[in-house]
Amino acid sequence: MSNRLAFLRRLTASGAVAASLLASAAMVAAAAAPAMAQEQIQKGGTLSVIVQPEPPILVLGLNQQGPTQTVAGKIYEGLLRYDHDLSPMPGLAESWEVSPDGLTYTFKLRQDAKWHDGTPFTAKDVVFSTTEFLPEVHPRARANFSHVESVEAPDDHTVVFKLKQPFPAFLKAFEVSSAPMMPAHIYEDTDYKQNPKNATPIGTGPFKFDEWVKGSHIHLVKNEDYYLDGKPYLDDIYFRVIPDAASRALALETGEVDVSQYNDVEPFDVPRLEALPHLSMTTKGYEFVAPLSWIEINTREAPLDDKRFRQALAHALDREFIRDRIWFGLGRVATGPVNSVTPFHEPDVPQYEYDPQKAEALLDEMGLEPYADGVRAEITLTPMPYGETWARLAEYIKQAWGKIGVEVTLESTDVAGWVQKVSNWDYETTNDFVYQYGDPSLGVARTYISDNIRKGVMFSNTMGYSNPRVDELFAAAAVENDPAKREEQLSEAQKILVEDMPVIWLLEMEFPTFVNNRVHNAVSTAIGTSENFADVWVEKKK
Amino acid sequence: MNRDFWRAFARNRGAVLGLAILGVVVFCAVFAGVLYPQSPWDMATVPFQPPLSQDALLGSDTLGRDIAAGIVYGARVSLLIGLTSTAVALLIGVTLGAVAGYHGGRVDDAIMRFTELFQTIPNFVLAVVLVAIFTPSIANIVVAIAIVSWPPLARLARGEFMALRSREFVQAAVTAGQGTGTIILRQILPNSLSPIIVSASLMVATAILLESSLSFLGLGDPNVMSWGYMIGAARTVIRQAWWMSFFPGVAILLTVLALNLVGEGLNDALNPRLARKGRA
Amino acid sequence: MAGIASFLGRRLIKSVFILLAIVVINFLLVRAAPGDPAMVMAGEAGAADEQYVEQLREQFGLDRPLHEQLGIYVAGVATGDLGHSYRQQRPVWDLILDRLPPTLILTGCAFVLALTAGILLGTLAAMNVGRWSDSAITVLALLSYATPIYWVGLMLILLFSVQLGWLPSFGYESIGAGYAGWDRAVDVAEHLVLPAVTLGLFYMAVYARLTRASILEVRDMDFVKTARAKGLSETRIVFKHVLRNAILPVITFAGIQAGHLIGGSILIETVFAWPGIGRLAFDAVLQRDYQVLLGIFFVTSVMVIVFNILTDLLYSVVDPRIEVA
Repeated sequence: MSNRLAFLRRLTASGAVAASLLASAAMVAAAAAPAMAQEQIQKGGTLSVIVQPEPPILVLGLNQQGPTQTVAGKIYEGLLRYDHDLSPMPGLAESWEVSPDGLTYTFKLRQDAKWHDGTPFTAKDVVFSTTEFLPEVHPRARANFSHVESVEAPDDHTVVFKLKQPFPAFLKAFEVSSAPMMPAHIYEDTDYKQNPKNATPIGTGPFKFDEWVKGSHIHLVKNEDYYLDGKPYLDDIYFRVIPDAASRALALETGEVDVSQYNDVEPFDVPRLEALPHLSMTTKGYEFVAPLSWIEINTREAPLDDKRFRQALAHALDREFIRDRIWFGLGRVATGPVNSVTPFHEPDVPQYEYDPQKAEALLDEMGLEPYADGVRAEITLTPMPYGETWARLAEYIKQAWGKIGVEVTLESTDVAGWVQKVSNWDYETTNDFVYQYGDPSLGVARTYISDNIRKGVMFSNTMGYSNPRVDELFAAAAVENDPAKREEQLSEAQKILVEDMPVIWLLEMEFPTFVNNRVHNAVSTAIGTSENFADVWVEKKK
Repeated sequence: MNRDFWRAFARNRGAVLGLAILGVVVFCAVFAGVLYPQSPWDMATVPFQPPLSQDALLGSDTLGRDIAAGIVYGARVSLLIGLTSTAVALLIGVTLGAVAGYHGGRVDDAIMRFTELFQTIPNFVLAVVLVAIFTPSIANIVVAIAIVSWPPLARLARGEFMALRSREFVQAAVTAGQGTGTIILRQILPNSLSPIIVSASLMVATAILLESSLSFLGLGDPNVMSWGYMIGAARTVIRQAWWMSFFPGVAILLTVLALNLVGEGLNDALNPRLARKGRA
Repeated sequence: MAGIASFLGRRLIKSVFILLAIVVINFLLVRAAPGDPAMVMAGEAGAADEQYVEQLREQFGLDRPLHEQLGIYVAGVATGDLGHSYRQQRPVWDLILDRLPPTLILTGCAFVLALTAGILLGTLAAMNVGRWSDSAITVLALLSYATPIYWVGLMLILLFSVQLGWLPSFGYESIGAGYAGWDRAVDVAEHLVLPAVTLGLFYMAVYARLTRASILEVRDMDFVKTARAKGLSETRIVFKHVLRNAILPVITFAGIQAGHLIGGSILIETVFAWPGIGRLAFDAVLQRDYQVLLGIFFVTSVMVIVFNILTDLLYSVVDPRIEVA
């Protein structure tokens, strides 16, 4: 935390900003290197990675679902990459500079990057991507780049962003899925979504698209012209579509696939697979998304509109049980709206320990006396239909709330029905998770500010929570150039939120990434296996 | 008919065994609340307890829920879904089949086209779509199973009604001026019941399997404990906890088997000619 | 021959009407569902706003009135266009064609396996009525009929892949192995064994029971008695006379079932990660990919109709006394 703050201060300090940034970037790169140096890097070989569910399309600018990122993250690149502490590292930009007033961001691009069809990558592509392509089709990028006044390319390898007002989170907006660089020569003046070239994506990354057999696998091959000498090490990568969780676990076990990520392996399989000698498990590589699981509450509906009721629900849940029994020890009990791996996390907030008696006392205080059958109130829970574990969680919540007299009816839906219900506020409670995207102004504020109560839009403020002070604090923090002040504002916002409980935060989630021990450097940055894999190499299969 | 029926039924040892198993299942369903006063969803014990553990006869699941309790309560749901969906299917199928078979001609043609339509759509896909569209709940699952199950019953009933339509006793009833409804219900239906009963008993078994398959794909009612749900939830841990899917699987197997045996026994008892041949 | 031609003609005309009805019903049914594809895509993208959702709706024609969408769809189907997948950005026809071969291979093998083994076992049981082999076959048939097929699949994986390591546990072929020609065929065949056996087992039980019952029905008929009186051997009687007549109901049933096997393979394709049309259908339901779902419905229905017509034709071949009518 203090490191990250120090870094941010450095960022905005005047004088030798660029130099120190370059230095820190170099240090990061050097820090990543030793692991490689220890062992003799072997060139060549094939990597096999699980991708699940099958992505709908591989053009990262058009679709940013998890599986799309896993595959397309090797094809496309962003200007920046981020280490596990979310400090920026060079990507397509070799250096960058932020003016002291926080209004001008200058990126120096690599001279030698080329698109897969041989066309050089230039500042023109960056201007096209950030002013035309992404604002048109990429919701998250549209929000990020709405802070931009102008984008200019003084020469082929320099891009200057001028912001309307300071927006310190802006430096987090250049991650590959947030702002993938798209080829201007292919998309300019076309209908992006209907472009026939979408079937054969063209990026600047270390791997090129080769073949996609729907329902089976996607094949990427080495980009021989990649700008980093000798990289990538791998010859090719297969992404295998395996719909059944048990089959995925088996595939890792038998060595048929080398890498899994996100929810590929169900939590109960984690301890078993972890114990296998040929597999390693890490929960690193999710710092950028920093997922936080929660129970969303529709605060428009009685009795959910009473914060005492919501607090009672929170006290009725044993979140350590949830972590240990449902997620099999994966994750940290969440204390508030900001994941502790994201900057500006405030630990000093009211705690909601497991205490059913306290919960019942709160309900008594509200005047919700139990009827003869012990029921005080009836609510519905529409669980997120994302697989076994979430179903188990919903079953646990139903039992736990039943114990304090809140009778829960589970409403089962498929993904489409669930999105429809939640985004149109046609629900009472639901369990799901959100990503934080490296900064509270990017991934946290959006679900709590009243400006973002928008019917029909998922992952907006679907709770209908509205507190003018919180709105004010988040608005101020978004444009506050002084990190200390910003921290103050965000801390206050977090304290209010934890008191008001518009959602019940459950866990700071950890996803297990499994990697076969013959694979090296699979997880080295904040986006884990969505990274471009230029540094990944494998030992020959014996 | 009654004594002969029972004697014929009892001669088939499989059928008697089936009836006995079915009796146990019904007992579990009726007395679930007495056998296991606590909810089957309660996390009653330590997770992943193997069978024959102190507080979990058949082991416990990932959350420490008692498998035995789940099976006892699951009997309720499986039987409920099996029986009601068959009843609904009978209602649709026999009504349409009776009308088609009795009237013949255009009516028959129209109804048979309609039946054919439903037989042409792959029925499991249709069941999946129906449950997904109308969201999984007991009622919707029952309706979906009934909708995909009625066509064979309609064809069966139609055949029976067509055959019986021209028999003397029906003609006599027509001449006597009995109404169509009366003739169908009073004269023909009782005489065509045996094959329909046999089919229905088998259909209950199919319905239970269908429900478990829907649950396996995650399309079960999340508020009730059913065997299908238990296997659906357990299949992913099959390698750590075989008992979680094994016992509900056995429960389904035994129940479906029992229904099939009873169905055969009924067939033997209700169609003595065939039965004698089978036993010769 | 003329009889067959006119029969075919009548069947085809009837089939077209059935198909049209199916298309309309399915369209209305599937559209009755909550949630539209634009919402799902927007939701899964992790963030969304009105503009994005509106763009998607417009792109897919979801903003037009329902009857217009139906009209466009029916006209499309009539001209062989099954529409465009919202999520996969590809023509539905392409998607189905991609997934059809694995499913056809799987269901075809399972069908042949089930029919052959079922008829053999059923005949064996009928020839030994009341003896232990009859009981054993009856019990085996009853058991496989009563066991959930996905459960059987998992058990077979446990035994043959995990414990014994004899067969691959899932997938269609060894990806990246670079097999070609004969090697590839062997590779696919190895992957095929477990799913085909699992899927076939259930239907085998059905056919065995049917065959047994049907043979018992035919066995005492006059023409069989005549054959027996002529002093023909029992095996010859069974295969030449009894089976030929007894097999008709089995073929009828199998013909009707053949098309449905494709629907039944959803479960098997899920367990074995088989990249076929059943899995495509299930994914399409979950993702509300209407066009794909409608396309699969249409194609499988066409197949059922084709199988039904074939069954009728085969019927007339097996038993020339029966006129196609």
